[in-house]
Amino acid sequence: MKQKTDVLQGTLALMVLKTLDVLGPQHGYGIARRIEQISGDLLAVNQGTLYPVLLKLEQEGAIASDWGASENNRRARFYRLTKEGRKQLQVETQDWEQTAAIIGRFFEVKAEDLL
Amino acid sequence: MKWLRRLLRRVANLAAGRGELDERLCEEIAEHLALQTEENIRVGLSPDEARREAKLKFGGTESMKEKYRAERGLPLIETLVQDLRYAARMLRKNPGFTAIAVFTLALGIGASTAIFSVVDAILLRALPYPQPEKLVRVWEKAPDGRFMNLADPNLDDFVSQNSTFADLAGYEYWRSSVAGGSEPVRVNIASVSRGFFQALGVEPFRGRAFAADELEVHGAPAAIVSHSYWQRSLGGAADLSQFHLRIEGAVYPVVGVMPEGFDYPPDVAVWIPRELYPELPGRTGHNWRGVGRVRDGITIAQARANLSAIARRIKEQYGKEVDLDDAAVVPLADATVGDVRTTLLTLLDTVGLLLLVACANVAGLLVARTSARRKELAVRVALGAGRGRLIQQFLVESFLLASAGGVLGVLIAIAVVKALPAILPTNLPRQEGMAVNMPVLLFAIGAIVSVAVSLGLFAAWRVITGNLQEAFATGSRSSTDAGASQRLRGFLVTGEIAATLVILVGAGLLGRSFLRLISTNPGFSGRNLITMEFSLPTPQWQQGMEESEVVRQIHLVEDILTRLRAIPGVETAGVAGALPVAAGDNLADGTFLILNGQNAPADFNEFNRIAQNPAQVGRAYYCVAGEEYFRTMGIPLIRGRIFGGQDDWNSPNVAVIGETLARQRWPNQDALGQVVEFGNMDGNLKPVTVVGIVGDVRASGLDLPPSPIIYVDYRQRGMKANSSPTIVMRSAAPEGQIVAAARGIFHDLAPDVPVRFSTFAEEMNGWLANRRFLLLIVGFFAAAALALAAVGIYGVVAFSVTRRTQEIGVRMALGAQRGDVLRLVVGEGARLALAGVAIGIAASFAVTRLISSLLFGVSATDPVIFAGLAALLSLAALVASYIPARRAMRVNPVVALRYE
Repeated sequence: MKQKTDVLQGTLALMVLKTLDVLGPQHGYGIARRIEQISGDLLAVNQGTLYPVLLKLEQEGAIASDWGASENNRRARFYRLTKEGRKQLQVETQDWEQTAAIIGRFFEVKAEDLL
Repeated sequence: MKWLRRLLRRVANLAAGRGELDERLCEEIAEHLALQTEENIRVGLSPDEARREAKLKFGGTESMKEKYRAERGLPLIETLVQDLRYAARMLRKNPGFTAIAVFTLALGIGASTAIFSVVDAILLRALPYPQPEKLVRVWEKAPDGRFMNLADPNLDDFVSQNSTFADLAGYEYWRSSVAGGSEPVRVNIASVSRGFFQALGVEPFRGRAFAADELEVHGAPAAIVSHSYWQRSLGGAADLSQFHLRIEGAVYPVVGVMPEGFDYPPDVAVWIPRELYPELPGRTGHNWRGVGRVRDGITIAQARANLSAIARRIKEQYGKEVDLDDAAVVPLADATVGDVRTTLLTLLDTVGLLLLVACANVAGLLVARTSARRKELAVRVALGAGRGRLIQQFLVESFLLASAGGVLGVLIAIAVVKALPAILPTNLPRQEGMAVNMPVLLFAIGAIVSVAVSLGLFAAWRVITGNLQEAFATGSRSSTDAGASQRLRGFLVTGEIAATLVILVGAGLLGRSFLRLISTNPGFSGRNLITMEFSLPTPQWQQGMEESEVVRQIHLVEDILTRLRAIPGVETAGVAGALPVAAGDNLADGTFLILNGQNAPADFNEFNRIAQNPAQVGRAYYCVAGEEYFRTMGIPLIRGRIFGGQDDWNSPNVAVIGETLARQRWPNQDALGQVVEFGNMDGNLKPVTVVGIVGDVRASGLDLPPSPIIYVDYRQRGMKANSSPTIVMRSAAPEGQIVAAARGIFHDLAPDVPVRFSTFAEEMNGWLANRRFLLLIVGFFAAAALALAAVGIYGVVAFSVTRRTQEIGVRMALGAQRGDVLRLVVGEGARLALAGVAIGIAASFAVTRLISSLLFGVSATDPVIFAGLAALLSLAALVASYIPARRAMRVNPVVALRYE
């Protein structure tokens, strides 16, 4: 069986920001579900790790949270992207794409290209 | 700035408490699980199965909560708070240990803080003048290296020829009577030359400095007064023009008031311009103290070289007319503090040693506790506490102890500093600035922190180096580690004993010096002597005294003396120009001529010429006295006669000399009948004939050999050359009664003359105050160190007895007698004491050398003191180990064998 990737906190934070950017305000479960859907079973056994990351982002001011009503009308904590969070997402997305592009090029390189 | 915001939120959360966020998290988790469960049910799982799956998917909540909390708050501070709470609990649980440790540290820190406040005020704080590092004192230097005050023409040459001083001035001060304020008072007045105030860089805060016409011979007299004199005697009046001070027969209008706190020379109330009076022409009349400010960009060494060159030029030019061959330039701060430095540094060293002893004691206690807590520590390690965390715990504990001790110590220091002026010698310079202020508090905080860190690390030492898991494997009492920590404590106690011995020896040497000093025969009997220092209206600056003036003086003084002698209970009363061995150095000394049948010099030029023949000069103290003075003081007549009724203004002037002078100057001939010229002291060139030899007095201090002295008759010369005319009166009757009667007599006969009543014992005390103070403080420290060392030995031996109860039981079961047990236990204490004493003796040999300048009549390595105090300390150690030994002797073998 393939080993589950241990999600790096930074990556997870970026996923949270992107999710909130795309879907608008979400509660913790919603975010977890969305990340799970997109990344396969990456978060399957460790949904709980999301909450410390949410708190960290909130303390940094990238996201804000408020009580709201969930689908079944119970109290749930809804997280939303702040202006600052949006800026942070942009910067980090760029960084990420740059890094990915470089790494990608390295992977494409074949031995004969370097001769 | 992200991290900053995060930090702020964390601090805010810390302050808000953990409740709110914890609740929120729990609610979020519950909701998350509920949503997931519903989802699972929707896909077809049974409710139980759905809940289980949801929980599985969420992962471990506990470790997540840990992370969440770590993110929320500040883990470092939280554990710190935890450790603090824990440490406080531990200290509360051991009130005995805590009280001893806190009190010991309070003693050490309090004593060092108090002493530091003295050192700070006197040695460290800058002088209260602008750019004080540029201020220097200036002297002439004799070929033998002695510093001498400056002679008038030499001072003028220094002032006019130097290129390195911004200002250089001469000054002299003495006690005199000042009338014209609310009442006549005896105060210090200073005569200062041009540039004096500029050199110090201080201007009058009211009125003005001296003007040009006040800085010339026979110019307009003027006086500047001190702030305190202005307040006390002039009522702090804004208009100075109404005040005219009468000083020594002249009238001085007050032109200025110096600012509060200006106190140079010390305790001076009135400054007058030196230039008002003609200069004395001699280049060997060392009348002026020099003070100056070096120019910007000039070092003190350069200034010294500059004045040295001038001094050498003077020597070349005037040869035998001068007795200088160099100049001395010393920073004012050093010169002001003078020999007090040794005293203060001795105190600081002693208190440092005491602090070390206190720390060693507490460290010993902590080591014992650490070894008792090994199991607890091992459990904490097993549960995951890191080494750093354990060290932090120790540090927090020692910080708590040191802070408690430190706060108590600072309170002690504040109380001590308040009480200090009562025991401080009055001649200690600059003591008015003494207070527990910011630098002193910083010192205390520094002491607390370093004590805390060293104690904490020391207590944690075993934890840092030892293998804690061992504590699980072995029984707590018999573990090898307990032995190791016992060795460590033994080592501490040895050091403690060594340090204590050093303090004891220092105190012992000072004490023996003091005893030697007060049992030294001063050459007179100081008991039951009442002194009355007064002043007579005499012109200070004229040459010689007129007959009429002398007669007026005699009338007044004899009237007073006759009335005083009539007071019931008064045995005798006499008068002299100044007292020997008094608080101030009042007897003047000078050079006299031996005439050998020659005619007396007609003027001072001739005097100076004769003085160039070394065979014809001598040096002695000069004292004007009446005939009853000798009987009153108890100075015995050895040969010849003392002054009598036949000696008056018209008869040949006579002198009485001390034995030492007779022996020194006329070793193989009779001193009686010798004719001597000492007119340079009072301006009267009539020679005096030696008619009597009296017993020696130690005029300049009990710690110095008897000084050569010449007494002249006040009825022939007048009371002028000595600055503190004093009536001494011997009476066994109660002092208060006599003083009241004497005060009445002075009031009747001389209402304008201010009088200072005292007893000779008090005057002597003033002189002894410095030594008494040092002895008192060092003695107190020695006693404290001795007590601490005894407690330290007791602690080690007692702990060792507890640890070895089983062993002692076995020994007794095998037939050991009580005496054997006693030897075993006391032997342990004795070994520690012996090692400590050995090290202490070696250290004392090295250290006491530093205080040899403070000793009198006892060598710095006095064997009696060393042996006696080593024995005393060993005895204390034996007593301290005997107490636990008695407990050991009473051990019941049966009980002890079961003891674990």
